[in-house]
Order: sequence, then C-alpha cells, then structure tokens
Amino acid sequence: MRSWFEWVGAMESSVGLRESLNAYPIMLTSHVIGMCMFAGLIMMMDVRLAGLGNRSSAITQVQARLFPWQMVGFAISIVTGLLLLWSDPMRFYSNFYFWLKNLLLVAAGVNMWIFHATTYQTVDQWDNDPSPPFGAKLAGVLSIAFWSAVIVVGRMIAYQDLVPQWWRDLGLRG
Amino acid sequence: MSLQPFFLWMQEHAFSAYILNETWFSPIVQVMHLIALAVFAGAILVVDLRLLGVGLTRVPLSKVAEDAMPWMVWGLVALLITGWPSVMSTAMKQYYSPFFWWKMELLVLGLIFAFTVRRRMARMDEATLGPVWPKAAGMFSIAVWTGVAVGARLIGLLS
Repeated sequence: MRSWFEWVGAMESSVGLRESLNAYPIMLTSHVIGMCMFAGLIMMMDVRLAGLGNRSSAITQVQARLFPWQMVGFAISIVTGLLLLWSDPMRFYSNFYFWLKNLLLVAAGVNMWIFHATTYQTVDQWDNDPSPPFGAKLAGVLSIAFWSAVIVVGRMIAYQDLVPQWWRDLGLRG
Repeated sequence: MSLQPFFLWMQEHAFSAYILNETWFSPIVQVMHLIALAVFAGAILVVDLRLLGVGLTRVPLSKVAEDAMPWMVWGLVALLITGWPSVMSTAMKQYYSPFFWWKMELLVLGLIFAFTVRRRMARMDEATLGPVWPKAAGMFSIAVWTGVAVGARLIGLLS
C-alpha cells in the first residue's frame, strides 16, 4: 500500500500539482462546491425519506428528478477529491481522517444499496405518504448521519494532529 | 467609518482567547459550519433548480419553495451561529482578507435576493411569470451562492 502511494507521489503529474500555487486552492474550492451540490441534494432527498421535509413531492419524484444533479455534484467531488489525493498521496497516507472518511463513504454507499434492494422495492405503495414506512425513515436518517460524518471527517483531514494516540503509535510517516 | 476598531475589539475579546486556547473548539465549530452549509445549499438549490425548470417539476413552484423554507432558514441560523466564533477568533485576519469582504458582500446580496425577489417570485403564478424570469433568478441565485462559497474557502487558503 505504502509503495503505491509513494509511486504516485513521485510521478511528474503529482509533483506538478503539488508544486503549483494555484492547483490546491482550485481543487479544494471545487471540492467544496461539489460537496454543496451533492450533499445538499442528498440531504433534501433524505429529509423526504425520513418524513421530515419536502413532503409535497412524491418520493419517486424527489429520487428521480434530483438524481442527475446529485450525480453532477458527485462527479465534481470525486474528480477533485482524486486530484487532491493524486497531488499529495503521502499526506493522506498517514492521515487518520482520510482513512476514516473512506470507511464512512463505503458505509453511506452500503446503506443506500440496502435501502434500494429492500424497502424501496415497494415504493409504489407509499410514494405519496407524507410519513413513509419505518425502513425508509431509517434509511433517510442513516444517510443523513453517514454523509454528515463524511463531511465532518473530511474537514478534519486538515487537523492531522488531533488524532487518537493509537493512530500515532502506528507510526505511519507521510 | 472604519470597522477596524470593531474587528480589533473582537480579536482582543476574552471569548476569542478562549476559542484559540481550546484545541477542539475551532475544529468542532468548523465541521458544524460545513454540515449547516450542506443543508442550506440543498434548500437553496432545490428551489433554484425548480426555477430553472428542472428538478421537482411535478409540484408547483410555491410548494417546493414552501417545503424548502424551514431548511433554508434553520441552515442559515446554524451557519451564522457556527460562523461567528471563527470570525471572532481570527478577526484581524478576516479584516485584512479581501475574500472575507467578497464573501460578506455576496452573502448580503444573496440574502436580500432570497428574501425579496426570489421569495415573491416563488409565490407568483408560474403562467404570469413566463419562462425567462424564473430561469434568470435561478441562475443569479446559484451564481451568488457559489461566489459566497468560493470566497469563504479562499479566506482560509489565500489570506
């Protein structure tokens, strides 16, 4: 794993991005814009699922009509996120919050997948209900929790000294 | 009138010293600011997309706006509460940052627009509005709020 990160970090494209004065502000600012679009619209969908908001719209409508815009936000976030990783892999390799963020991304994805494979199959029966069944509410609340945690931990990447002692004891050097 | 004495007062306030002294205070406030941002941005965007004629088009514009309003207002309240300590504890950095003033000017513009033109437009009959004005309003809103976010991020990066 470490050698893979070192390999990327030594590449000309990585060094170029790392040493550019403008690349980092542009990548990070675009990452935030992508996050606003993606997480914002995901949360608007989640509050509908949880029965907390946007209750005038049918659930399938919220799901289908916001989806393309969520994907635009997701694409911006993923591309700029991968570029940030590419620009300085060793910084992220040794960062506790970077790995925790990846774990939470997987958790958010699994939650989405389980919901679509189970509760969402019967959506026709409760599409217009202001208060959807328990399974949908649970998926909505979990999604809000997981994506919020992704945002929290993503911001914490900047605070690489505020990490648990056991992580420091691992002695990963960036 | 210069605002410098006010910013100096904030910087030298005991609360600023407390914030800077507590290791976890700033990070916690900043992550909460970002979560509030996601909620606020979502509530803004869901209406702006509807104004652009995409997104939740099966429901009247007034309904989409009404549903989004509490999330926008409470997102904004949370943003102001969690943004305030960051401004206080780094007041002089903010005062001398062009991006801080860029952000604040666009923020005021965005709020005035959201609570006047955009709000009234969202309550009007869509047939009388025609196809052009809602789209212009949606694009203007997205542009201003994107500007706020860009300015905000650059305070920390380039000041």
